[in-house]
Amino acid sequence: MSVDEAVRRPLLARDGDEELLGARLVARRKPGQWISAVLVLLVVAGIVKSLVTNPRYHWDVVGAFFLRPSILDGLVLTLWLTAAVLVSSYLLGIVLAVMRLSANPVLSSVSAVYIWFFRSVPPLLQLLFWFQMASLYPQISLGIPFLKPFVTIETAHLFSGLLAAFVGLTFDMAAFAAEIIRGGLVSVEAGQTEAAKALGLSKARIFWRIVLPQAMPAIIPASGNLLIGLLKGTSIVSVIAVQDLLYSVQLIYAQNYLVIPLLLVATIWYLILVTILSTIQFFVERHYARGKGARSGFWQLWRGQLPLVPRSRPRRDLEVLR
Amino acid sequence: MSEPLVRVRGLSKRFGHHTVLDGIDLDVARGSVAVVLGPSGSGKSTLLRTVNHLEKPDAGFVEVNGEIIGYRRDGTRLRELSDRAITRQRSRIGMVFQQFNLFPHKTALENVLEGQLAAGVRRGPAEARGRELLDRVGLADKERSYPRQMSGGQQQRVAIARALAVEPELMLFDEPTSALDPEMVGEVLGVMKDLARTGMTMIVVTHEIGFAREVADQVVFLDEGRLVEAGTPDAVLTEPTHERARAFLSAVL
Ligand SMILES: Nc1ncnc2c1ncn2[C@@H]1O[C@H](COP(=O)(O)OP(=O)(O)OP(=O)(O)O)[C@@H](O)[C@H]1O
Ligand SMILES: [Mg+2]
Repeated sequence: MSVDEAVRRPLLARDGDEELLGARLVARRKPGQWISAVLVLLVVAGIVKSLVTNPRYHWDVVGAFFLRPSILDGLVLTLWLTAAVLVSSYLLGIVLAVMRLSANPVLSSVSAVYIWFFRSVPPLLQLLFWFQMASLYPQISLGIPFLKPFVTIETAHLFSGLLAAFVGLTFDMAAFAAEIIRGGLVSVEAGQTEAAKALGLSKARIFWRIVLPQAMPAIIPASGNLLIGLLKGTSIVSVIAVQDLLYSVQLIYAQNYLVIPLLLVATIWYLILVTILSTIQFFVERHYARGKGARSGFWQLWRGQLPLVPRSRPRRDLEVLR
Repeated sequence: MSEPLVRVRGLSKRFGHHTVLDGIDLDVARGSVAVVLGPSGSGKSTLLRTVNHLEKPDAGFVEVNGEIIGYRRDGTRLRELSDRAITRQRSRIGMVFQQFNLFPHKTALENVLEGQLAAGVRRGPAEARGRELLDRVGLADKERSYPRQMSGGQQQRVAIARALAVEPELMLFDEPTSALDPEMVGEVLGVMKDLARTGMTMIVVTHEIGFAREVADQVVFLDEGRLVEAGTPDAVLTEPTHERARAFLSAVL
């Protein structure tokens, strides 16, 4: 039999083929899924019931204090501090990341030591340290070492609690931001820089227009988590009596002893703030997904990407994301 | 032969102890096409990359239009130019890569604009020229597409348009069709042939012998960093004198 004949041979037919072709496909039942869902729902229902019916939560007090001016002032301070630390730490982080990747061994090592040091020291410890700065260096002078300084500042006037918080949190965040940014930068192919150089783009232009935007998809998810950590982390300033959201609440319950409802006030505010941040993160991620293939609908993306909501199908959509 | 646009003299490059380019001498006449052949690792890419100073030579120099690339003559020395001056020199030399290297976060048109905007061209005129170039490579309808949404052949044509946008006087092509599926090779070579016909000076690294025979004014053969064969396509392709060149050509033909 030649190849030609073999190809033209009729396909082998079997009895019952017709029925098989017409059969309806029935999916396997998964009772385990139903049982586990019901169990989890029972637990959730129990928690909700106790939240509503236990009078010691004092929901009326929560409502009464929720929009108190002193609490709103604390909220504003928390937001300001978070925003200021975010901006300054990322600017510093970019510099550190670029230094770390530089061919200059001095710049690279200084950046490495910075990152090592500030990733190791707890922010609370740093905060206390900066707050005590005046006892360590009563004066700070700007100038070249061993020469007469240009400016001299009294540290006691410089480091208020708020500034200590700003400096401490910035230095801490910058170390983490630098690592995230560096990871993003090295993920961009070398060919991109080459092509940009060959086109006659300056170094600064290559960094800001070609490399950094392509590093963003790798930078943003991790930065979103870092930012949420920062927002909550600002609450440590309450130990040096800076009136943030948490400290404002503490001041009130120190007088009226309604600890639980007031802590709930702070909890709800943090929930609201983090929800807003997560939503912003979602839109920023979508913006930087340009050129990354088809866009899906809003809800699909929201469910898949909003870090506040657990991913519905972790394994499968990981493949889709990359 | 008219006055050469490109003069390469004594060009050498080492990576560690490995000599990748070894005293290359080459002239490329204005408006002519030089095709560079050679086995893998013979230094073809390094030669092109040295021409626009993506790679610094260890000895020798490259001169384009009378200007030494990357250096300035100072008595008996060549002093490396500032980043700014090198950037300016590069903007007059277009380069097309094997892997296209389009900017994935920018549309086809934005890719073509990037070099012009860097050169200080205003957005309006830059866009007009960008559209004209996309039209010229047959992609007028793709200006809003992102690289990922285009075929390899289309991406490479955008890359050619992008390199042409800054009005280079010299174009470098590093195996522009090697990463393409066979049915897309023709469309890219077609664009390159059109470009050669308009009088663009081109240095092309390729294994497309048909292209070399049809378009090249000069074919050179690199082997282990040395230029072992140079001449008209007929001379080099049909009667190579060097043994390695003969073996290589009988393998690719
Ligand atoms: N940055 C580098 N560092 C070290 N070695 C390098 C570098 N770039 C190239 N080489 C080496 O130089 C030699 C020539 O490389 P080149 O890329 O110029 O070859 P090629 O002729 O273009 O080869 P191919 O046909 O595979 O592209 C190779 O042995 C390569 O490993
Ligand atoms: Mg090569």
